[in-house]
Formats: sequence, C-alpha cells, structure tokens
Amino acid sequence: MLALIDVHKTYEMGETKVHALRGVTLELPPGRFTVIMGHSGSGKSTLMHLAGCLDIPTVGHVQYAGLDLTTMSSRARADFRYSDVGFVFQKYNLVGNLTALENVALPLLLRGEASRQAHARAAEALDLVGLQDRATHRPAKLSGGEQQRVAIARALINDPTMLLADEPTGNLDTATGEHILDLLRGLTSEEKIVLVVTHNPEIAETADLLVHLRDGRIASHQVQGAGR
Amino acid sequence: MKMNLLRLALKNIRSRRTRSWLTILGVLVGVTAVVALLSIGTGVQEAVLQQFEDIGYDIIVIAPMGAAGRARDLTAGSMAGAASGAMGAGRFGATATQPHDEASSTTGGIFSPENLGRESSEDDASTGPASPIGEALARAVGSSLDTDLLLTRVPQLIEAGTLGTQIAAIDTGETSGFLRVSTPSVEFLESFPSVLGGFEIASGSSFTSESENQVVVGARSAETLHLAVGDSLSIGGVSFTVVGILEPADQASEEAQGDGALSGQGLTQSLGSGGSASLVLRGLTNTDDSLFVLNERAADVLGGRTTLGVTITRVEAGASISDTVDAINVAIAQQEASGTPISIQEVADEIQGTLSLIETVLASIAAVALIVGGVGLMNTMYTAVLERTREIGILKSVGARDGQVMTLFLIDSGLMGLIGGVLGLVLGSVLSLFGTRLLGPSLGVGSFSPVIDAGLIGSVLAFSFVLGALSGAWPAWRASRLNPVDALAAE
Repeated sequence: MLALIDVHKTYEMGETKVHALRGVTLELPPGRFTVIMGHSGSGKSTLMHLAGCLDIPTVGHVQYAGLDLTTMSSRARADFRYSDVGFVFQKYNLVGNLTALENVALPLLLRGEASRQAHARAAEALDLVGLQDRATHRPAKLSGGEQQRVAIARALINDPTMLLADEPTGNLDTATGEHILDLLRGLTSEEKIVLVVTHNPEIAETADLLVHLRDGRIASHQVQGAGR
Repeated sequence: MKMNLLRLALKNIRSRRTRSWLTILGVLVGVTAVVALLSIGTGVQEAVLQQFEDIGYDIIVIAPMGAAGRARDLTAGSMAGAASGAMGAGRFGATATQPHDEASSTTGGIFSPENLGRESSEDDASTGPASPIGEALARAVGSSLDTDLLLTRVPQLIEAGTLGTQIAAIDTGETSGFLRVSTPSVEFLESFPSVLGGFEIASGSSFTSESENQVVVGARSAETLHLAVGDSLSIGGVSFTVVGILEPADQASEEAQGDGALSGQGLTQSLGSGGSASLVLRGLTNTDDSLFVLNERAADVLGGRTTLGVTITRVEAGASISDTVDAINVAIAQQEASGTPISIQEVADEIQGTLSLIETVLASIAAVALIVGGVGLMNTMYTAVLERTREIGILKSVGARDGQVMTLFLIDSGLMGLIGGVLGLVLGSVLSLFGTRLLGPSLGVGSFSPVIDAGLIGSVLAFSFVLGALSGAWPAWRASRLNPVDALAAE
C-alpha cells in the first residue's frame, strides 16, 4: 500500500508560488487499476511524481511499506525508483541513440548488471509487450504505440511494485491506446499498484478506483465497477 | 558497471558525430603540439648527450688560461644556434695562399686562424662570445703544461695528452701561405685519437720518430697542396717530410662542414661520425684541413708558439670529477703554468640544463593549445548537458543515482579527451619524425630521431583523459544535480 498523507507541493516560479497540491491524502492499493482525473494544472502529474519518489512534497509524507519516502536521501530515493517504481510517460521518454532493446535494458546497465544478462532480460520484457522483432530499432523508427510499449517494457524490467503512467495514451490513436491500457490493466493481476493519470473520461470508466483532482485537492474519490 | 557506462558514453559520442569530432580535434591539436615538441626536444637532448658520452664523461679538458670562465657563454651561444662557428669553425681556408677572409670572421671560431692572426682588440669586437677559447688562445702566453708532472701530481688522472695548434707559414715550392698546424703529443695520439675524429692513415704511416721532422697531412690539405707521401715542405721555415696522409673525415662531418658557416655544425651534428663528434673538442682540430706535427718536435723546431696547447686528461673510474678539477688547478699553479680545467661532465650539465629549459618553454607554449582544447571540450559538455537535460531526467526516473549520471558524463568527456590524446599522439609522432628530418639539417643535427618513450605515451594519454574529465567535471556535476521532474519537463 502506497499512502500520501496530507501532501502539499509548492513550486516557485520566479516571484510567484504555484500551489500544485494543497493537502492530498490518498491510499493506492495494490492489485487495483487506479485512475486520477483532472484538468491540466490540477496537480495530477505532481501527485504521480510524488508517488513515484521522483520528487518530494513541500509538506506531508509519502509512505510505502512502512518507509517514509520523503525523508530518504536522494541516493536512497534513486534506489527506490530503481527497484520499486516503473514510469510510463506521455512522450515515451526513450533515449534516442539507443535501440529498443538497449532502452529497456538501460536501468540494468546503469546499475552495473552484466551487459549480456541485462540484454537477455530486456528481450524477455520486449517479448511481454509483443515487440521482440523490433528490438534493434531505434525509437525514431518505431510507431507511437511501439515506443510506448518499449517504455512499458522498460518500466517493467525490474519487476517493480508500482507502475505509474502519465497520459500513456495521450499521443496514440484509440485502438493503440486500448491495447496499451489492456497491458497496464493486466498488471493488476500481479498485485502491482497501477496508477494512470489522465484527463480521458473513457479511461476513467474502466478504473477500479477513480480520483478526481481539482486545484490541488481531491474533489471526488470513488470505488467503481468490478471494484474488488 | 563502468564498462556499461563506457559503452553508453561511446554510443553518445558516436550519435553526435560532428560535434564530437570537432571537440576531439581541439584536444588533438594541443596534444599533437605537445607530443611533437617534447619528443623532438628529448631527441635533441639525447643526441647531444650521446656526443658527450662518445667523448667520455671521464675527460677533463685543460684549456689555455681564462677560457673556462666563459664556457657558459660558449654553451649558451651554441644553443642559440648562432655559434655554428664556435664549435667547429676551426677550418682553415684550404687554399694556403689565401689568408683569412674578413667577411668570414663573424663566424668566430675557437681555433680559427682569424682569431690567431688578429689583434686582440679587433678580436673582441668581431668574434663576440662565440669564440672565448679562441680569444683566450690569442692572448695566451707560455701556458705549457708538463703532462708527466701533471699525472704525478694529480693521481686521479690516468692519461693526459697535449694538442697544440698554431698557424705557420707553409711553402711546398708550388704554393705558399698560412695553414693551421696541429701538434698532438705522442701521448695524445695514443690515448685520445678519437678527439681528432679518428686519426686514420690513408697512405703512408703515422709518426715513426720523435727526432725527425715528420708531418702527417689531412686529406683536403694534401689535395690542395698536391702533397704525397715522401714529399717535403717547409713549415715555419723548417723542412718536414710527409710520412702519411689521413683518411677524409666521414660523410656526416663533410656535410656539416659544407654548410657549416651558419648551421651550428658543432653542437649536435653527426652522431654517426664514429664516436668522435666532439662538442668541445671539435674546434681543436679538423683533420681534413690540417697538418700534423708531433708536439715534441714542434716545440723543438717551430718554437714557442706551439705552447698554445690544450691538454686532454682522463680521470680514473670512480674518482670525483670536481675533486680532480681542484687538484688540477693546484697542479697548474705549482707548475706556474696557466690553464683552466673544464670537465666534459660540467659542460654536458650546462648544455643539458639549457636544453631542458628550452624544451620546457616550448612545451609550455604547446600546453596553451592543449588548454584551449580543454576549454572547447568544456563548452561541448556544457552544451551537451543542456541538450540532454531530458535524457538526464529519463536516467533519473529509471533509478540512476546522481553519481552515476555524473560518472556517465565524466566518462563521456574523458573519452573524447582520450581519443584526442591517442590521435594527437599518433599525429605528433608522425610530425616529429618529419620534423626531425626537416629541422635536422638546418639545425645541423643531421641524423637524430625523436624520442617517444613509454613515459611520454603514458603521461600524454593519462593527461588527455584527465583534461577531458576535468573539463567535463563542472557540466557533469550540473547534470547530476538536475531535479528529475524539471529535467523531464525540458524540451
């Protein structure tokens, strides 16, 4: 269980202060497909960054399995991201000069895993997203859907406990988007925390847990559908 | 882990090909300059030291009075390349009927006839510091050293021999004029023939008797004077018989003498001249243009002028050179003679010091080019950090620690430095090979080769990697400190 407890986040943009989050308390249970909805500027991306230990709140705490992620060192947070978090972004965020396989293997390579082993594991992950035959292509030679699947493979390479996706289908056509969402939704069966940030109502309909954010606060919070 | 980072860095360098190569080029130019200058500089040093080695560090030359005091000028002047003549211009115009030529006097010369034949005041004005020994010779009076006595008084000396020189009126019947006559002692010919550049007889024999008026003639003199073994000629009004003609000096010396007027022939020329090349001693003799009469005979029949002699001594192995020099000074004083001992060791040290200084100055100038290369590298890495901001965000989002991001960038820049270093090393080596070929003749350094040893290679490679890494350090540090969220938001 990942818990955000009265989390505030304030950015300073020159003279002005931007309050991205103004006191959010939220629990993200494993094995649920959680969707966070909100207009742009509602703070939903910020919430995802805090949940994934990519940033720390100005006030409040983020806890996971008894760990307080907000008081950890920068190094420990990097280690946590490595072992427990997989990110998927709207812009895919692949490294342009690496092949699909190398992109997937990147986290392992950075952490010093032997190159051969890292590539073998990356090949498995690509297999999982159905891209084994595109392994040697660079991102520029891949379609949007393929790039996003590479990104998902990379996010999953380390078998993380949570997968956080920010508008994962934002740049994709409907059919491809559906395929990506099916991939993500399927992960809940592995008891992972799956969080998707979006402003697409169609995705929201399929959520187990739907959270609406408005102006940095939770506007609504509902368990829906099959909600186990 | 470093291997993975290395591979990632290499991929990055390759993917930004043009920029990477331009950056590497900057480092390459600097390294090339440093390598070329250092290897040529060390090459010159070794060539010079080799010459001293050929003479022998156990040699102490006792120059006629006062000369040694200016040995420093001599070495410095030679280094500047102006002293071509100082070392080697002992050459006498081979045509006996042609005494000295005013124009050539600027070349100076230790034992050049110009100095000998001239008033001392004029000497001072025209020869400058390039010819201290010649100057001293011109003024020397009665400095005859008894070498046997010297050997007794200075037990550290194992051998000693005298080589005098004088200008004498020559008359072969066909031609007449002034020529230089070298007057080696018997001991000198026995112990230090190499000082004369090899005293190899081409025809006839060497001296056979100390009591007869015998002369051995240098190759060129024999040719111009049309002398053959058995001929007789008048030296200083005394009749001498030619008993031998010498082999010509070897090719290397010939060449150097050919353009010797301004080419600093004496300093570093002709490593290959049979171990005889002699910085200090070359001026003592020039076998091609000289006539040789035994010192003992010359003293008897040619008179006091033969006393303008240089004494060469060899120090016993293991004895202290400076102690020996001191002892020689005492012995000279006891004999009431004049003369100043100069050890080859001392001269070599002087010259090596000067060479090192010049090399350091040149290398420092080259280092500026290297620093400019480093600044270019820093600029590239700084831009790269700006360009790759989002990539840094990606690396951090997948769990890269700050240190790993920094290491990645350091390896990136270090690698570019190293590649520049390797290529610069190769190019610098090639340049210095060509450089020695091109510079050799004009510096009078004939056949010397640049020195590119493991030390130079190792330190150049290490230095260029460190330069690269240092130049990239600040950009890399900035990269590692980026907030991942901000980095990911970058375009």
